[in-house]
Amino acid sequence: MEEILTMVEEFDRILVLGCGGCTTVCCAGGAREVETLATLIRMDRKQKGKPVETLEAVTELQCEPESVKPILEKLANQYDVVLSMACGAGVQTVAQLFPNHNALPALNTLFTGRAEEHGVWTENCLACGDCVLWRTGGICPVTRCAKSLMNGACGGASEGKCEVSKDRPCAWQEIYHALKRLDKLHYLKQEPQVKDWPVHPGKVVREDLREGEATRVD
Amino acid sequence: MSSFEPLIAVFSCHYCSYAAADLAGSSRIQYPPNIRIIKVPCTGRVSANHILKALERGADGVYVAGCLEGTCHFISGNYKAQKRVQYVKALLSEINIEPERVEMHFMSAAQGSKFAAVAAEMTDVIKELGPSPLNHSRY
Amino acid sequence: METELRIGVFVCHCGINIAGVLNIEDLCRYADTLPNVAMVQANVFTCAQKGTSEIEKVVKEQGLNRVVVAACTPRTHEPIFRACCQEAGINPYFFEMVNIREHCSWVHRHNKVYAQAKARDLIRMAVARASFLEPIGTFSSRVEPKAMVIGAGVAGMTCALAIADQGFEVILLEKEVRMGGLLRHLHKIAPCDVTASKLIGEKVAAAEKDDRVKCFTSARVEEVTGCIGNYVVKFSSGQESYTDKVGVIVVATGGVPLEPVDLFNYDGKRVITQSQLEARLKKGDIEAKSVVMIQCVGARIPERNYCSRICCMVAIKNSLHMKKAVKDAKVFVLFRDIQAYGVENEALFLKAREEGVRFIRYRLDNPPVVEDGRVRIYHPGMGKEVSLPADLVVLSTPIVASSDSEDLSKVLKVPVDENKFFLEAHPKLSPLDFATSGIYLCGNARFPATVREATYQALGAASRASIILSHDTIERVGTVAAVEAELCSGCFVCVKVCPYKVPRMNENGKAEIEPMQCQGCGICVAECPAEAIRFRYASDEQITAACNALHAPQEIRSEN
Repeated sequence: MEEILTMVEEFDRILVLGCGGCTTVCCAGGAREVETLATLIRMDRKQKGKPVETLEAVTELQCEPESVKPILEKLANQYDVVLSMACGAGVQTVAQLFPNHNALPALNTLFTGRAEEHGVWTENCLACGDCVLWRTGGICPVTRCAKSLMNGACGGASEGKCEVSKDRPCAWQEIYHALKRLDKLHYLKQEPQVKDWPVHPGKVVREDLREGEATRVD
Repeated sequence: MSSFEPLIAVFSCHYCSYAAADLAGSSRIQYPPNIRIIKVPCTGRVSANHILKALERGADGVYVAGCLEGTCHFISGNYKAQKRVQYVKALLSEINIEPERVEMHFMSAAQGSKFAAVAAEMTDVIKELGPSPLNHSRY
Repeated sequence: METELRIGVFVCHCGINIAGVLNIEDLCRYADTLPNVAMVQANVFTCAQKGTSEIEKVVKEQGLNRVVVAACTPRTHEPIFRACCQEAGINPYFFEMVNIREHCSWVHRHNKVYAQAKARDLIRMAVARASFLEPIGTFSSRVEPKAMVIGAGVAGMTCALAIADQGFEVILLEKEVRMGGLLRHLHKIAPCDVTASKLIGEKVAAAEKDDRVKCFTSARVEEVTGCIGNYVVKFSSGQESYTDKVGVIVVATGGVPLEPVDLFNYDGKRVITQSQLEARLKKGDIEAKSVVMIQCVGARIPERNYCSRICCMVAIKNSLHMKKAVKDAKVFVLFRDIQAYGVENEALFLKAREEGVRFIRYRLDNPPVVEDGRVRIYHPGMGKEVSLPADLVVLSTPIVASSDSEDLSKVLKVPVDENKFFLEAHPKLSPLDFATSGIYLCGNARFPATVREATYQALGAASRASIILSHDTIERVGTVAAVEAELCSGCFVCVKVCPYKVPRMNENGKAEIEPMQCQGCGICVAECPAEAIRFRYASDEQITAACNALHAPQEIRSEN
């Protein structure tokens, strides 16, 4: 919160922009959180004797320019800065679409995860680019092993719990049990797997989905 | 600041504390006139934003008064409210506002005297804290 | 084009109840300055015929579309004024009430200046809220003319038979192998000495004979969904599973006497419980010449803080039976307080004393001590400890909630209290209803009761249930939550937080709330991260408007 307050310090008209996609679903940046953050900023600034105007809006998907554009165009000239409650992708969409606007991130995008229960999320995917779940019984060693080991347990676990944190189950022990259950233990005996940490391409293109004429392939 | 009379918003559940306030009334139990009740069907209806808005718009303190533990008319609304109050307290600390300005209280419809006692207690607490940092201009 | 808001504010004197403390004229003048207020009027008694007809008249004449009454508590008077709005031709939910009596004039009598300021604030907040009121309609659904009664003890069977007598089908579930409940083990029932087995035997026979009552033993409720008028119930009986539809449900699951393990040397042989004594009396298998009964065993103690109400009468009744069964038997009853309410019970208590049953009071901090063949107790009358001969020690233990009451409460989504007894909606105003409409309770499931009380309650619950069953359809006011599909992000939060498990995801990935099932708590509304759930009865706009009006704009609090 302090960081956000510092970020917006110099601005007097703030558009708090939520995202109706993932950050709504995980209760971090939907309409409700937008309202909370805007209120907190107003309260903070009122307290400091530097009142601020806030606008609140939520884009359907902030990583989708088509969704961001109309909203920002409609509100043009009513704000000095966009405080985005989307993930990093959303913030950058805003920044790229409107290079002359200040686009600030209100959230720290932590991980891609799963809703364990209402209010509990766990990290399950690092978007590593080389999925191994097929031979690890559906348990991701990259995110769920504290050391991201790729070829078995480190030996530090005790009673099924990770040596890094006692409330964290040992991913490799879970992998072992899952493979046993699936009768696929032999996967573990395969040649040591070298993880192909791909260089992030930065871009994915599907020609079949793109507009325009197809390129001829002979 | 001796003349400071705090303004306190109370989110009151229709089934318990609102009725308790009625009972305090019919029993003629006198308590400080600083509270303003906002009736809700269940304290589970009260969101963090409602509490924040009340503070932003002039309240020096806010409390949510729900049913006694385990007796919520809607099973668990009072616990939800309690969690949200805790959340708001944490948010307030972040912007340097005393979290004590926001509280959760539990009471039954039959506890008219408790309603009055809580109103008096909150009034004392807020008087002690002084006006909300958002309201300095008023006093 | 939205119609212009025209709010009418009616300020009530309530005789001197309000006007004795507050300056009504000032309140009226003040209300008149508030936004959207079209007219203000004061009445001496707004709720009286004259007051209500005046509101109707003024609403029509002045074309008002919102009504605010500043008077007493909406908990008693709101229905009157809502009806009045309806009569005047506007939606009954275009009405807001301000409580300036219970919450103001009565509680700040000695502080008139502040009371006046508070009343102004309250009126301002209500007017602000009134500007955001929304019309609420009613909707109806069909009623399944069938009941399910859970528990076939005296309460459950009485209730089931009473519902059947009104011509409705009843599913009667009993978790034991046989119907009858606690009464199967009892001897005689006070105060009229009815033979328990005869009474319950007749009920069982009647229930089994009645075609409208379908009895299931070794039964368990597995799942209950739906709502008043249309519950879908899944239950098992032995190995068989069943699914059926019922309009109402009655909980009559009873209770059990506490087994006094580790208390007063309880061994089930020479130190027994009242129920064990009754079993012996029933068999005629009793010879003890000297019996000591100890009351409140395991009751009215910090971990079980309630009085079980019936054990005193059980002890008094059984002491008289002891006197009858064994010639010259000595009976001592060691008690903390005697609970013998009502004329007949009081008479029975007197009779026991006349027949020589000795009652000795003990205190919790100095309880009796059970030794082999004797009981030591401090006798307050004699001011010293006495040692009583005891061939048999009988412990009066409380009725406790049956062990599965908590599980059942989760299946039915109804509350239990701290002692796991089922909790009624209101102990005085609706003692046989749960807060969830269409579910009722009676007998020991609710709280320890005598056979007679359980019977009254059962008949009462049957009557409550039959009111619903006797209608083809049921009408409900739409004070419920509704999802705005275009805003819904499909996050499942409402599905997870609803205490009644009403919201569900539809095939379009949007949440849906069945209005008939929604209980109207607003929990999901406050939790939805997309703020996609609307609740017309207490909308965000209304609550925020009240918050915004907490403090008057530019108003100088001259009183300060």
